Amino acid sequence: MDHPSITVAISGRYPLDRAGLAALVASLPGLRVVPPESSPPPRVLLWECGEKLSADLPRSLPGMAILLIVGEIESPILPPGVAGLFSKDEKPEALGVAIRQIARGDQYLSPSLALALLERGEAEAAPHDFDMSILTDRERQILALLADGLSNKAIAARLYLSVRTVEGHLANLYTRLDVHSRTEAALIAIEHGLVSRIK
Amino acid sequence: MNASASPRARLAVLGMLSDLHCQPIAYDLNCLRKLVADLAPDLLCAEITREAWEGGDLFTTAIEVREALAPVVAATDIVLVPVLPTLTQYADFTPATGWRRDVVRALDRALQWGQREADRPEAVNGALFGAFCHTLCALTEMLWTAEDCAAWEAQNKAMAENISQAVRRDPGLRVLVTLQCQRLHTLLSLLKAHSDELEIVDYREL
Repeated sequence: MDHPSITVAISGRYPLDRAGLAALVASLPGLRVVPPESSPPPRVLLWECGEKLSADLPRSLPGMAILLIVGEIESPILPPGVAGLFSKDEKPEALGVAIRQIARGDQYLSPSLALALLERGEAEAAPHDFDMSILTDRERQILALLADGLSNKAIAARLYLSVRTVEGHLANLYTRLDVHSRTEAALIAIEHGLVSRIK
Repeated sequence: MNASASPRARLAVLGMLSDLHCQPIAYDLNCLRKLVADLAPDLLCAEITREAWEGGDLFTTAIEVREALAPVVAATDIVLVPVLPTLTQYADFTPATGWRRDVVRALDRALQWGQREADRPEAVNGALFGAFCHTLCALTEMLWTAEDCAAWEAQNKAMAENISQAVRRDPGLRVLVTLQCQRLHTLLSLLKAHSDELEIVDYREL
C-alpha cells in the first residue's frame, strides 16, 4: 500500500529560504527531504532563485529533475536541465503537485508564469495552420484549460478526471498538434479562439 | 449502460469515524491523512456537495473532509470527486419527543462507546465493529419516521449513482470512497450492483 517517497533536495542562496522550503516539503505527504549531494541523487532538486533567474543555475544529474522557485521570468524557454518553474505567488501546498509532476518526467509551469508567457508569446507567435476539428471534445476542453495556465492536476480536478488520464490526453494532443511543450500547445489554443482568459 | 469494453475500476470504501449525529468526537486526523496519502488513489470520492467543493466552502462539510482530506488532495495528485447529493449530511433524524427519542439517544451513546473502542482504521473497517455499528444503525433507523427513512435511502442511492458516474467518466482507475461509517453497509450494497464497471476491494488492497 505504501508508495515510495519522492526524494527532494533543497538548494539556493539564502539559508532562511532553504530552511523554509525544507520544512514545507517535509510536511507534504509522499515527499522526503534529502541533502543535495546524497547518493543516489535526489529525484527532484528545488532551487530557490531569488527574484529573477540567475546564471548560476545548478548542474543537472541523471535521474534528477530541477524545479526552480522564481519570482518572475522573461523567457518561455526553460534553462537546460530545468523541468519546471514554480512561482512564489502559488499556494504552498501546490509545491507538492509540482514536484510530483516533474518527478514523473513532465514539465511544470505555475499558472501565473504561464499566463505571463502566453501574453508575450501571443504577440510574437507565427500563426499555426491547424484543423481543430480533428480533436475530440475532451481534447479541446483540456487544451483550453491548459491555455488558461492550469497545471495537469488542476485540469484533472476541474474535469474530475485522474491526473494520469489528463497526461494521456496531453500526450495525444502534443502528437496531433506536432508540438513539444505546453506553451506551444497553449499558443495554438489561443490562436484558434479556444481560450478567452488572456487579456 | 455498456461497460464491457472499459476496464473495471478498483474501488475501496473507507468508513470514517465521522462527527456522527452532530456529536463531535476527538480523534487523530493525522491517521486519516497518512492513510489516504499512502493509498494515493487516482480519485477520492468524498462526502461534500459539488457546489461546496467548487465554491471552496468547506465549512458545511465534516471535519474529516475539511481538515484531513482537502489538505491531502491539495498537496498530492489525488483528485477529489464530490459525491454528496445534498447538504443533509447526517442521519440526524432523532424524533423530537417521546420514548423513541430516548432509545435513539441510548443507541447513540452505545455507538460513541464503540467509536472510542474502535479507534483505528483497521478496527472501524473491521468485521466486529462493522457488525456492531450496523446493528445499532439498523435499530436507530427503525425508530425514524417513514419519511426520514425514505430521505436517507434516496440520499444514499444518489451518492452511489454519483460514484458510479465518476467511475464511468474515467474507467479503470483506483478509486477510494470515504464516507461516514453509518453509510458503509448501505453504500456497499448499492455499489455491488455496479460490478460490471467496478471491483470492490479492501482498502488495504487498493
